[in-house]
Amino acid sequence: MAPVRRTGEGHEAARPEKPAGRAGAGAYPWAMAAAITVAVCGAALSLNGVLRGWNWYWPAMTTVLVVGFTLAALRSVRAQPLLVTAGGFVALVGVLTLTFFRSSSVLWVVPTGATLPDLDRLVRRASETVLAETAPVAPNAGIVMVVCAVLGLAVILVDALAVPLAMPAPSGTGLLALLMVPAMIKPQSAGVWSFVVTVAGYLLILACSQWFAPDGRLQGGTARSPGMVRRAALTGAVALVATLVLPLAIPGFDHGTFPQGSRLNPWSASTGLNPMITLGNSLRTPDGSGRITYATNSAAPLYLRSVTVDNFDGDSWGPDDRTGSRVPLDGRIDPGYPVLADEQVRLVTAIDAGSFTSPYLPVPYAPETIRGLGGQWTWDPATLSIKGTETTTRRQEYLVTSAVPKLSAALLAQSSGPVRGIPDVFARIPGNVPDIVKTTAQTVAGAAGTPYLKAMAIQKYLRSSEFTYSLQSPVQGGYDGNGLSVLADFLEKKSGYCIHYASAMAVMARLEGIPSRIAVGYAPGRLTGATVTVAGQGALPEYEADARDAHAWPELYFQGLGWVPFEPTPSRGVVPDYAAESAAPSVTDSLGNNDGLIPDSAPVPAPSPGATAPAVPGADSNSSGNGVQLMPWLLGTAGVVGLALLAATPHLVRAGTRSRRLRPKRPDQAVPLAWSEIRDLGTDYGVPAEDSETPRAYAARFRTSLLGEPGGMDQDAHEAVAFLTSAFERHRYGRPGGKGSPGIGLTHDTSSHGTGGQDNGGQGIAAGVAAVEMALRSNATLSRRWTAAWLPPSVTRRLGQVLRTPLSAAGRAIGKTARASAGEVQPAAGGRSSSGAADGAHTPGGG
Amino acid sequence: MEPHRRTANNGSAPNLNLAGVADSVSHLNGHRPAAMDSGPFHAAAQRILTTVNTVIDGKSDAAKLALTVLLAQGHLLVEDVPGVGKTLLAKTLARTIDCTVNRIQFTPDLLPSDVTGVSIYNQASRLFEFRPGAVFANIVIGDEINRASAKTQSALLECMEEHQVTVDGTSYKLDEPFMVVATQNPIEMEGTYPLPEAQRDRFMARISMGYPDKESEIEMLETHQAVSPLANVSPVVTASEVAAMTTTVQQVYVSQSVKEYTVSVGRATRESALLRLGASPRSMLQLLRAAKATAALDGRDFVLPDDVGDLAEAVLAHRIILDRKAVGAGETPNSVLRGILSRLPVPQAPPGQPSRAAAATGSRNR
Repeated sequence: MAPVRRTGEGHEAARPEKPAGRAGAGAYPWAMAAAITVAVCGAALSLNGVLRGWNWYWPAMTTVLVVGFTLAALRSVRAQPLLVTAGGFVALVGVLTLTFFRSSSVLWVVPTGATLPDLDRLVRRASETVLAETAPVAPNAGIVMVVCAVLGLAVILVDALAVPLAMPAPSGTGLLALLMVPAMIKPQSAGVWSFVVTVAGYLLILACSQWFAPDGRLQGGTARSPGMVRRAALTGAVALVATLVLPLAIPGFDHGTFPQGSRLNPWSASTGLNPMITLGNSLRTPDGSGRITYATNSAAPLYLRSVTVDNFDGDSWGPDDRTGSRVPLDGRIDPGYPVLADEQVRLVTAIDAGSFTSPYLPVPYAPETIRGLGGQWTWDPATLSIKGTETTTRRQEYLVTSAVPKLSAALLAQSSGPVRGIPDVFARIPGNVPDIVKTTAQTVAGAAGTPYLKAMAIQKYLRSSEFTYSLQSPVQGGYDGNGLSVLADFLEKKSGYCIHYASAMAVMARLEGIPSRIAVGYAPGRLTGATVTVAGQGALPEYEADARDAHAWPELYFQGLGWVPFEPTPSRGVVPDYAAESAAPSVTDSLGNNDGLIPDSAPVPAPSPGATAPAVPGADSNSSGNGVQLMPWLLGTAGVVGLALLAATPHLVRAGTRSRRLRPKRPDQAVPLAWSEIRDLGTDYGVPAEDSETPRAYAARFRTSLLGEPGGMDQDAHEAVAFLTSAFERHRYGRPGGKGSPGIGLTHDTSSHGTGGQDNGGQGIAAGVAAVEMALRSNATLSRRWTAAWLPPSVTRRLGQVLRTPLSAAGRAIGKTARASAGEVQPAAGGRSSSGAADGAHTPGGG
Repeated sequence: MEPHRRTANNGSAPNLNLAGVADSVSHLNGHRPAAMDSGPFHAAAQRILTTVNTVIDGKSDAAKLALTVLLAQGHLLVEDVPGVGKTLLAKTLARTIDCTVNRIQFTPDLLPSDVTGVSIYNQASRLFEFRPGAVFANIVIGDEINRASAKTQSALLECMEEHQVTVDGTSYKLDEPFMVVATQNPIEMEGTYPLPEAQRDRFMARISMGYPDKESEIEMLETHQAVSPLANVSPVVTASEVAAMTTTVQQVYVSQSVKEYTVSVGRATRESALLRLGASPRSMLQLLRAAKATAALDGRDFVLPDDVGDLAEAVLAHRIILDRKAVGAGETPNSVLRGILSRLPVPQAPPGQPSRAAAATGSRNR
């Protein structure tokens, strides 16, 4: 009999890539590096939108390429795996030095001692950027350096996971980490293209691992099996459906049931260098972060103004700091224009900025003196905005005195003189104003005679029922933010929030010849009920305002009266007396609710409450009353019950299985089912059956390691196991039909029928299993008993298998594809394959 | 032609049967003797084992294996160092059965015709007459089989496999039961002719006697002092009883999954990287036959995977050849087989799924 050794199939499945691996040893590192580079560069694409523009991308890509291909080069000369990774770090340091610290380095790439201060400076800059600015941030050297370093580290991480550790699948976590940042920060998430490129790179990494696996380590589960493609397709389909359906079922983490999820995004809460951009995000925060409290002696609602926006050119508007003309804040602040009003209202306001963090100080208009501030502050004579130098508003407490002329509609109507004494920039009409803005301004305000009438016409138009206040529709419509094109979209869609209303009014006012600017800050907020004692004023009522009250409103300049705020945004803020359509007194005593601040008597029709209510979460919860109060209880109870059910699931599954097994549908199934139960009991109590064990061998092991001495207290259990074993053997291996042929009749049973023979049937078997379980429980330790009852390994293990099946099926599918595409290499080396493998096969099995 | 003759005396004189002429009651293709029932079977087996154990102390496993091979109609190779009772085991087993026994001492000058027999010209009848050789007996003890030349060894081949002798073109059937028990000394290999693979493959099982344990050895010194215990042994079963027992063994049921398990054992040896030569299909057949005999001796009418696993070392170890590197790594055929068996999954019906389908196929195949 000629020895048939290594029947090709099994061997092929065992280590199929051997010849291919040898042939492609040179190409493998390069292919892998290319794959990793593609994946990381793809993930980096998504950072556009976190960083503004594309200038940062080239240094980032250079870093990724240099690090990736250094790793590949080292690997292709077969350096030690540790050395390769170390080389990656060296390359990363080198390329970062070349890009960012060339002046303080030797030969441009070797960092010196002088590099450290530079590094410190850039890192501090980056951390400032992260803390203070909002996306998209301008790509300064600090943040770009950090991005480059992170991308380089990502390359090294992905490479280390995929190649030396031979875990290509988990290497995706590195890429996921990169994608997480834009996914959290950008409203439009990571972006399709970036995701597609990243996924393509990731698949390439997986494919490279399969094609070029150096020693077959990864081929463990790649044996062909029938139905593999079907399983893979099924797995993919289930995953796809789950991806599409689950988001519909789960309300999400920034609104709905679990709004706490939005706390994950720390950037939305901070108010950054460009409050215009943060504003939308702030308004959408469901919980009030950035809370400011203030106490004032003002009778009217108080707007807190941080900064103004006056330059309406460019894609994205932002405050102009006018760094050159700023004045240190050490004395009286002078508005810089003549105020001719007879009566000035002086206000004293004590403000506690709390966790609100911004370089701009929120103060009521127009500030005269500010006391109690820490750090250096400057003020802009043109706009009166107060900005910190190397300091922020965080944890500042200060006292502001401010003065506004007591305005009235009559006073404003009289002011029709030509504007003088303010910079031209406030009156300049920006280039390329969209036609819709021009025509709307003409239609709405063209007929009005005086600046005041024009302003009132515009405000009336914007507060009309044509417009809907909505925080969501600009996001969905893609015109969130500010800018002239956004403004055009707003006028077309007639739905937006304060930014849109304010900029619409400001731009249209300029078109009609009224100097204007947009003030950004806080709407009045709510009474807290507490009082604050201010020196010289007595106890003043305290108000609070937080991110939800973030607001923007237009300020129009009237000769002789100065900058006058208007309120074109429906449902937000308070329409000032002078801007109300009639002279009816405004209702200012119910500050608890912003909606209540809108004068009911105002002829301007308020938007329907149905449209506005969902947009104001605070109002929503107030109006719903006690019905909503029950919800948390219901949800909590449901959650606790669900958790308890979840925790008890293994126990319940196990109990269900047992009762099903002990009550078989057909009597001839009693024995095998009882045997399965014995095996599961053994598994639960720490002696699982092995594949290579016969029933008899397992029963012997079961009895010696789990039961006490035979003849002792466990005698019943011993007998039951022995009986079940022989009964199962007969059922499984004996003659079908059971009783043995009459001619031979070798029905000599080796076991004693202690617990009831086959005659007793199910009853005896159930009693036997119960006896076994009792014996097991009395012999086991407490922790083992607990595990067997609540986390039975027989259930958890099966669950693990079920969970693993799709994964291994997917792995096999990938393997199959890889083998199919590597098919051209195989036949050429096929002749060698059997002999080579016969040699190689001896090495592993020595013991 | 000499009439068929059954002798009860054994050993010394060449007792020759002309089985080829006589219509033997029990040759392979004839009708089988009736199977023996469970009770008598067990009693007979117990009698044989008890008797053997009185002679050879502390070697019940070897005795049981020898009986297993006898009942499975195989041949036994006993391999061990001199003086541990190889020949004694063979002779005792032979004595317990009321049948003919021949002993052949293999030497380098032994001729094939000494084993098989030779045709001699009879002056009186003026005809060639066949003088049967030593192989014509129910149990043939071949002592030191590796000392004979290759051609003499191979003369045994046909006898062992075919249960017949062909001399001068004429075939002569051998009596049933027919069993060759050969002994072999693995130490003194000088001037010997080691059994080739083909011939080793014809032995169903190989056993090593091994040294007895302390108590058994002391007892052996006591009982073997004056007279050979062999002298007191008298047959406890007849040849026809043995034939009936073999029929019983043949009727033991083998389920489909046990067949699968047996085949997978064989395939595993062929695929093992540690082995240069795996187990042959014939050895699988013999393994299963031996397993049936074990099952019957154990009082079952069906074979368990345990039977196959327990016998795998005895049946397969002398047929497989280790790879050079495995030898270097300190492996032995037995250790390799143990490793294979400890990894090989045992076919068991998945829980809840009846094994009816497999069992039905199994019975149809029989």
